[in-house]
Amino acid sequence: MNGDKDTIVHIDNVTKRFGDIVAVDRLDMKIMAGEFVTFLGPSGCGKSTTLRMLGGFETPDEGRIVLDGVDVTRQPPNRRNVNMVFQDYALFPHMTVGQNVAFGLELKGKSRPEIERRTDELLDFLQLSGFRDRTPDQLSGGQRQRVALARALAPDPKLLLLDEPLGALDAKLRGQVQIELKDIQKRTGKTFFFVTHDQEEALTMSDRIVVMNSGKVEQSGTPEDLYFRPASRFVAEFIGETNLIEGKVRGRDKGAIVIDWNGVDVRGAAHDHQPSEGDHVTASLRLENVICHPKKPASRTAIEGRVVSRLFKGSRTSLDIRIGEQEDAVIRAYMDAGNATQIADDLLWISWEAERLAVLRD
Amino acid sequence: MTRHTRILMSVIYWAFVIYLFVPLALMVTMGFKDSKFIGFPIRAWTVDWYAAVLQDTQVMSVFGYSMAIAIATTLLSLIIGTWMAAFLGPNKFRGKAILFALACLPAVIPGIISAIALRIFARLIELEPGMLAVILGHTVHNVPFVALVVMARLSTQPKSHIEAARDLGADSIVAFFRVTLPYLKPALVGAGIFCMLLSFDDFVRAFFLGGYQPTLPVLIFAKLRSGMSPEINAISTIVLIMTAILGLWAERSMRRLNKGSPQ
Ligand SMILES: Nc1ncnc2c1ncn2[C@@H]1O[C@H](COP(=O)(O)OP(=O)(O)O)[C@@H](O)[C@H]1O
Ligand SMILES: [Mg+2]
Repeated sequence: MNGDKDTIVHIDNVTKRFGDIVAVDRLDMKIMAGEFVTFLGPSGCGKSTTLRMLGGFETPDEGRIVLDGVDVTRQPPNRRNVNMVFQDYALFPHMTVGQNVAFGLELKGKSRPEIERRTDELLDFLQLSGFRDRTPDQLSGGQRQRVALARALAPDPKLLLLDEPLGALDAKLRGQVQIELKDIQKRTGKTFFFVTHDQEEALTMSDRIVVMNSGKVEQSGTPEDLYFRPASRFVAEFIGETNLIEGKVRGRDKGAIVIDWNGVDVRGAAHDHQPSEGDHVTASLRLENVICHPKKPASRTAIEGRVVSRLFKGSRTSLDIRIGEQEDAVIRAYMDAGNATQIADDLLWISWEAERLAVLRD
Repeated sequence: MTRHTRILMSVIYWAFVIYLFVPLALMVTMGFKDSKFIGFPIRAWTVDWYAAVLQDTQVMSVFGYSMAIAIATTLLSLIIGTWMAAFLGPNKFRGKAILFALACLPAVIPGIISAIALRIFARLIELEPGMLAVILGHTVHNVPFVALVVMARLSTQPKSHIEAARDLGADSIVAFFRVTLPYLKPALVGAGIFCMLLSFDDFVRAFFLGGYQPTLPVLIFAKLRSGMSPEINAISTIVLIMTAILGLWAERSMRRLNKGSPQ
């Protein structure tokens, strides 16, 4: 049991159906204490359903949910030491901010002085002290979000669930709240289980991201893992912008996998599987991993290309570079706006570290 | 709209207003006439009729009786109607539409039919005509109104409010009383006042189901048969003012229903 010491939640092979729809399909994962885990995926992929099963609002059709070593699969929400920040915040409109925050403490049977102390502490922590006697309709969106957070943190849950809590905020505020939220998570040391369909949000805040697609986990890893070493085409395309390169595996060269891409040899690496010679594969190469050289470099792996279009984006320029004569053999790359002007006759050389061209499993 | 139709419209409008209020104004005026006979001309004014009403122990006790029936009816209707709405609203089951239609039927059945039916039923179950029978009769009539108003309000309550309460440790009963009930408050105030008015105002059911003790409308009816007197005008005026105040208050709280958006 030593290995499980820090596991706070085990979602044990859980399936949930709604009629014919399989909302969550044999999901199996563990969440460690103190982690900021984000569930990322397109709308309808089963994120909320998973969250709601952890909260006790849905019961799995198959599998178990183990919270801190106890099987809670069939426990109602009020018996679980888990709290949730709802997408619409769900603040009680007839209660003041203070009463909202105290609600969970009262139901836990805490004494009056203790409720007061803890409510003060949380309002203070979330910079809401001045709003204690206001009702939710007298607050801004960002303040409501903080009240919802304070209310959910008050009963000291083992796990905090957050279902797209920033969706209702405007873009500018959202960026600020992302940083705040991450900071709060660090300071409280709580385990956060965060749900979003916004890849940028996930990359900014998470210790670990679980990418979901059609009720299944596509890939799980750190933001860097997912961004630079996507395992599947879905992940590569869902997170950020990328070049997808399709071709046949020709063999290996110093640990790198060599792929024949429209007659040009490109070097890449596979991270969680081993493609064999002759396999038809797709690989992902991030725009910022492509190095552009205005002059022919010494590196033997640099490829010659021709700029077919450029888009000025302020500090950098995005270039579409065609390799060889094939119409669709195009790589998009970023280049310093200054360096981009040094390209003569649209001719340039590109290279990358083999490590950065991730061979996908599908 | 042409000038003419506009003028015509406003004439019709004012004619309607006059038609509504002149009889009421006449009734109120006659209550202050210093003479036994209702009609013009009025030579002297008095408040004696009001004094007489306030000193008339029969009128005062009947008033109290009607109030007691109205209050009991209201409480009962609110409890049953809310329970019905809370049960019928969220649950999905076969025959829900039929059950709902049946439950709403008493609101639209003509008073006289429902009164006779209730009378027969009361005799069948050996319920003596009297206060309890009137209360039950009024309640059957009022419950659908309460249920409809409460259901409309319930349907605007975000599901997440109840889930949040459950999440924070409330079982379903505590969640209902601490979160749903306060949310329903404006609907309950409005529906409650409406129930009071319906009950207080009812003649037919009270007539058929009542015992020897009359309710206020039944008493007024009995008094009318022995001739119109300004005392009746005074009673009616008092009732008019009270109900108008209640009605306006109810209207206001119902209006807040629509404005009071969830959060
Ligand atoms: N209560 C429900 N009844 C029927 N279908 C549902 C219900 N909740 C979710 N679903 C379906 O399950 C799938 C997953 O939904 P959800 O978990 O809400 O996705 P996400 O949060 O990732 O957008 C969707 O196809 C959705 O339509
Ligand atoms: Mg969702």
